[in-house]
Amino acid sequence: MSPGQIPLFGDPPDEPGPTRSQTEPEAPPPDAVEPAAASVEPVASEPPPPGTAPESAIPVTELNERARRLVEGAFGNVWVGGEVTNWGPHRSGHCYFSLRDDDAQLSCVMFRSDVQRLPAHPADGMRVAAYGRPTIYGARGSYQLVVRDIRAEGEGLWKLAFEKLKAKLAAEGLLDPARKRAIPRVPRRIGVVTSRSGAALRDIVAVVRRRAPWARVLVSDCRVQGDGSAESIAMALDRLVRHGACDVIVLTRGGGSIEDLWAFNEEVVARAICACPVPTISAVGHEIDVTIADLVADMRAPTPSAAAEAVVPETEVLQQVLRSRAGVLVQVLRRRTRHGRERALRAASRLNERMVTTVRDRRGRLERAAGRLDALSPLGTLRRGYAVPLDDEGRVLRRVDEFQPGGTFRLRVTDGNIHCRTESRSEAPESATAGETT
Amino acid sequence: MSDASDQAPNFERLMGDLEDIVERLGGNDLELEEALALFERGVGCLRDAGKFLDGAEGRVEELIESAAGDFEAIGFEVPDHEGGAAGGG
Repeated sequence: MSPGQIPLFGDPPDEPGPTRSQTEPEAPPPDAVEPAAASVEPVASEPPPPGTAPESAIPVTELNERARRLVEGAFGNVWVGGEVTNWGPHRSGHCYFSLRDDDAQLSCVMFRSDVQRLPAHPADGMRVAAYGRPTIYGARGSYQLVVRDIRAEGEGLWKLAFEKLKAKLAAEGLLDPARKRAIPRVPRRIGVVTSRSGAALRDIVAVVRRRAPWARVLVSDCRVQGDGSAESIAMALDRLVRHGACDVIVLTRGGGSIEDLWAFNEEVVARAICACPVPTISAVGHEIDVTIADLVADMRAPTPSAAAEAVVPETEVLQQVLRSRAGVLVQVLRRRTRHGRERALRAASRLNERMVTTVRDRRGRLERAAGRLDALSPLGTLRRGYAVPLDDEGRVLRRVDEFQPGGTFRLRVTDGNIHCRTESRSEAPESATAGETT
Repeated sequence: MSDASDQAPNFERLMGDLEDIVERLGGNDLELEEALALFERGVGCLRDAGKFLDGAEGRVEELIESAAGDFEAIGFEVPDHEGGAAGGG
């Protein structure tokens, strides 16, 4: 570089910009390098080239415009890294701030429509990359970056918005674990808030149909991403609540970017979930994605399928429950009359074993078994003509010496009681007792 | 939860009733007659619960609200392939 040269339009000698020096289309016109001294004595006949003499001074507007074109032409849209300072929203909704690093700083403006797409306003001091076009604002002659988007390190803006809302809800006690309600174990109707055309709904229906065809699914359609999706989700949930027929409600959507899932981090959705009188399960995105909806719902499931699995048990499991309860019922009745050896009760206990072996698969079997249990219950036995002698306290009398000569007892038959008095007693021959134990 | 949800037998409630029955049967202060009646009721619970599990066939409905605020649950065919980008419709 030649220290003596003072260019008007060319690169300053110490200009660092690597892209500009050679390829600049609007590089200084050849006449611009005419020595300034030439302007001392203008030639009257020919006007001097613009900017080379007081008479041909370039208007500020034009200079700034040329500078703007130069700067914009040189860069286009670029990502610029730095630290945010003096972030200041203006009444208009536009935001003004600076980006800086150790040695330099850059004025920035972000227009309202772009600001609105940010999950949160960046905090001062936050390290960000800003995407925008370097330009010159002619009216002020200021060099600035018109920012379209801002990414903070490590999805910092999303995290900032997330943490802010989380703190707010926590302060209201809405994240308190004590608020979590139990999910009904056997829901008759499951509400699902999601897109009617989405994969999440398909996954849930598939699981419910496979595991628990007795459960019904009620879909409340909503937009699950993009403009207005948070409000749409809240309305869909509210619709199910007002309809009132669901035992549990699942809010769900499939995987996506943090932006795609963002509606589930919005306050309006969180509030709707908190206000829901029915237990809720949230299943948004993949396992690693935790949303505000997940935090305020009564339960979080990692995926839509997992939500369905959490909400309906396998039918077979419930049938096992029924079988074991049937067993318990028989056992407890048997214990109640432990001293007796009535055939009816033995039959009932035998039935228990039979139920375990026969009631193995699904449809109808269990009902049939319950019917058989009924038929073989002591009442069924009474219906077939057997009777049970009972003393005044309802205890079963089963041995001759339990009947007092002249004492009273009653015979329980199928439709009532016969009041009896013991006239006389006699032991049965051995063979009769043997016959009874068949 | 509103009464609208109470048409189907409530499996959990039936199981709860059954538990009560078992507990009462377990006590010794019952006459045999009462015990038998309880037993019969228990069998009824089991049968209702079994019927519930056997009923229905994976019904899926969509909840529609009219402008007047009336609800309708209409049968819904779940698309069996990708329905395109979420949210549409």
